[in-house]
Amino acid sequence: MYGWIWRHLPGPMAVRAITACLLIAAVVALLMFVVFPWIEPKLPFNQVTTE
Amino acid sequence: MSTLDSGDSPAESPVGPGQGPDSGDSERVRSVVRGLGELLITAGLVVLLFVVYEVYVTDLVSAGKQREATSALEDTWKAGPPEEERVDHFEGLGEGAGFAKMFVPALGSDYAFTILEGTTEKTLEVGPGHYPGTAYPGQPGNFAVAGHRVGKGAPFNDIDLLNSCDAIVVETRFSWFVYRVMPKKDEVGRWAEKAADPRCKGVAPLGAPYDEVVGQEIVSPRDSSVIAPVPHRPGAEGSVGEQVTLMTLTTCHPRFSDRERLIVHAVFVQHWAKDPAHPEFRPPELKETS
Repeated sequence: MYGWIWRHLPGPMAVRAITACLLIAAVVALLMFVVFPWIEPKLPFNQVTTE
Repeated sequence: MSTLDSGDSPAESPVGPGQGPDSGDSERVRSVVRGLGELLITAGLVVLLFVVYEVYVTDLVSAGKQREATSALEDTWKAGPPEEERVDHFEGLGEGAGFAKMFVPALGSDYAFTILEGTTEKTLEVGPGHYPGTAYPGQPGNFAVAGHRVGKGAPFNDIDLLNSCDAIVVETRFSWFVYRVMPKKDEVGRWAEKAADPRCKGVAPLGAPYDEVVGQEIVSPRDSSVIAPVPHRPGAEGSVGEQVTLMTLTTCHPRFSDRERLIVHAVFVQHWAKDPAHPEFRPPELKETS
């Protein structure tokens, strides 16, 4: 999977490395700001009130 | 990630020893296994990242929101209309509105949080939230507050470490209210030993109907009676004049789980009115940091 992505990145080595870093940053940002905040309320350690 | 060394194209992949001319099949198996491995490693990294998010990133976000809530509260205290009687009014607080600050010197001299009205998820992200319908600071009844234990600033992370007689100081616009943690269950029988401590002045096991109220307990999430005016005896409150002035903290238990709730009960022992001539006054209880 990662090998496939690497092979399909355009440009010389340095450009590919930078693109790869940007891709990783984009995925981390997506997780941190979209996926995790969405999934968090569904997890069990945030219920602190009694009903 | 792990395959940066796997060559630029499948045609250039090194052919290992022992592989015949029809190595296409084993090549395919190898790439499937490799893909699976990469997927599992990725999943592990995502879970790790989630832990970082939950424990650190939500703390940062909540710290910012808590700061905003605190400065908003200080502004309303400063800008509010001058009141001759200097009595706090809490009517008409909207969800998420800050109305008091709490200090727990036993958890550190910098332990301070602005308490907000309501216990919705959004409110608790900002700070400890007051259960609507329960008493307000200093009022007879049960001033009940919920707070997070993991992430989100985790205001109630360490309330399991509170000992009996530890002070919980609540500041409102015109007053300081000092509550102290009630005797714990195993101390009730031999309270005389501890009662000699000057900090325990005003703290003692309460008689009926408060005989089940102890400093710390662990209850089921469905046990709403812990925030009743008379904890564990909903409906036994009688008239407001007969009620003891209590404070109750609730959080999840055990840490990282919501199986149970950790409850801390405290009793009101001391009131300090703020004097406009001495705005720098701080109650001596705030110095009880050990």
